[in-house]
Amino acid sequence: MDSLILLEGVSFRYEGAGSRALDDVRLSIAPGEFVGVIGPAGAGKTTLAHTLSGVVPHVRRGDFYGSARVAGLDTVTASVVELSKTVGCVFQDVESQFVTTMVEDEVLFALENFDVPRDEIPARVDRALADLNITDLRSRGISTLSGGQKQKVALAAALALAPSALVLDEATGELDPASSVQVFGLLSQLRRERGTTIIVIEQKIMLLCAYADRLLVMDQGRVVIDGPVRRTLEQPDRLLSLGVNCPRVTTLAARLREKELYHGPPPINLDEAETMVREAMA
Amino acid sequence: MQGVLEYQGGGTVLHRAHPLVKLALAAVVCVGGFVTRSLLVNLALLALSICGGFALGLGGKVKSSLKGAGSLCLFLFVVQLPFVRAGRTLVPLPFGLGITDEGLRFCARFAARLLGATLPLVLMLGVTRLSDLTNTLVAQLGIPYRYAFVVTTAIRFIPVLFVEMRDVIEAQTARGVELDGSFTRKIKLIPPLCVPLLVSCAQRMENNALAAELRGFYLRKRGSGYRRYPLTGSDALLLAVCGLVAAAAIIT
Ligand SMILES: Nc1ncnc2c1ncn2[C@@H]1O[C@H](COP(=O)(O)OP(=O)(O)OP(=O)(O)O)[C@@H](O)[C@H]1O
Ligand SMILES: [Mg+2]
Repeated sequence: MDSLILLEGVSFRYEGAGSRALDDVRLSIAPGEFVGVIGPAGAGKTTLAHTLSGVVPHVRRGDFYGSARVAGLDTVTASVVELSKTVGCVFQDVESQFVTTMVEDEVLFALENFDVPRDEIPARVDRALADLNITDLRSRGISTLSGGQKQKVALAAALALAPSALVLDEATGELDPASSVQVFGLLSQLRRERGTTIIVIEQKIMLLCAYADRLLVMDQGRVVIDGPVRRTLEQPDRLLSLGVNCPRVTTLAARLREKELYHGPPPINLDEAETMVREAMA
Repeated sequence: MQGVLEYQGGGTVLHRAHPLVKLALAAVVCVGGFVTRSLLVNLALLALSICGGFALGLGGKVKSSLKGAGSLCLFLFVVQLPFVRAGRTLVPLPFGLGITDEGLRFCARFAARLLGATLPLVLMLGVTRLSDLTNTLVAQLGIPYRYAFVVTTAIRFIPVLFVEMRDVIEAQTARGVELDGSFTRKIKLIPPLCVPLLVSCAQRMENNALAAELRGFYLRKRGSGYRRYPLTGSDALLLAVCGLVAAAAIIT
């Protein structure tokens, strides 16, 4: 299948930095894939996200090697503006992402810039706000919102644009558990309905496992594990040694398998966990 | 101080008025205070702002700006007063200083002008969304979007700066930096407070510019704004008020 995102031997070193933030990354993501990215602090996750949006190497400068293509555009020759028509981003530091003072204006901003037809705009704003359950915040000042509410606004602004690829860089860190689940549900729905490619950098591995098809584990600028979620979860010791917080139930599954008490795949939800326990006790 | 420059929703005539009309009104009251030579007009404009502020439901903003700008005015008033020598001496003071009638008039006018210039701007920002202001500045006055954006970003960052300053002070206090003490000690403490503040603020502004760029900032054109701002009958009325204030300031 044709890939929407294709990285071939991408390495990047920030200006003045000693080591590479990305080191020979090879990666192909098909349209409509839901990819989770996980890894310890400083692994290069944000740098990878920046590579997809062209921020690396256009805004954050340094030595770039290899080739990165997004929707057929070479990220080194295409401009950030061109790439931003395909890739929508929501970043870690929510405070510095707002470009207006009011919730509604924030959602409007990009719609106006990208020349969305006038008659489509109201429905898109309504839908984005409703999707994130923040219709009641519509005419609130952004500075009066809580951290979680701010993240929802940033997400709504990105969703309203309906880009072909959506990159979330730890953009749900301040959400309560129920809202996080809701956001992930929304991402799955986007993928189903519009074929949006979703790339989520996240520390909450269980959420990633429940929704993503594929998990990338990064360490020291490299993609060290790349595969279906379950296959990645089958190596809990490896994950732990990389500093990735592996769910207890996965570790338990691995131990039961070692003792030949369980033979199925590592469970990724409560029902599967129950099945595992029943099998082990039988 | 926090929140003084922020928009406060409401349904008054001024909330609904055309952003440029509001800007004109605020400008006329501000500048009028400097143009007029009559203290009475200064006081009338000040009274207009204060009453207007309460009528708009912005009493809180009026109070906090009166407190902030008012204490600065009071300080300047007291400091300047003994040094104005012109006029008839009312209260003689040592060292050849004294309070004169001219001094009282001069200092009162100075204070009224300063307050009179602050309040209309605070009120205008209280009843106008920044995005409406930029949209009209761009679409109707043809000001390039990036300039309008810089101005609104600066206004947006003032409260952010205050929050950041509070955080830095709290962090430094937690690390044992004592913020009480003699004047020279305080001066020495300025660099450790300001450097992190400037660094984090610069970083935030840079990230903010990046966020804007990723969301199509450079694609924005003069007609990109979604909202339309038709002039209404009440706008015409407000413009007439602008004219009246301007005339009063020039004649007197
Ligand atoms: N602007 C920069 N200049 C120099 N070095 C940088 C810059 N940004 C990141 N780095 C370095 O690049 C490496 C990868 O950083 P990156 O931000 O991509 O990590 P991350 O996986 O997103 O980490 P975290 O989980 O903490 O967000 C780190 O070693 C970091 O110190
Ligand atoms: Mg990061």
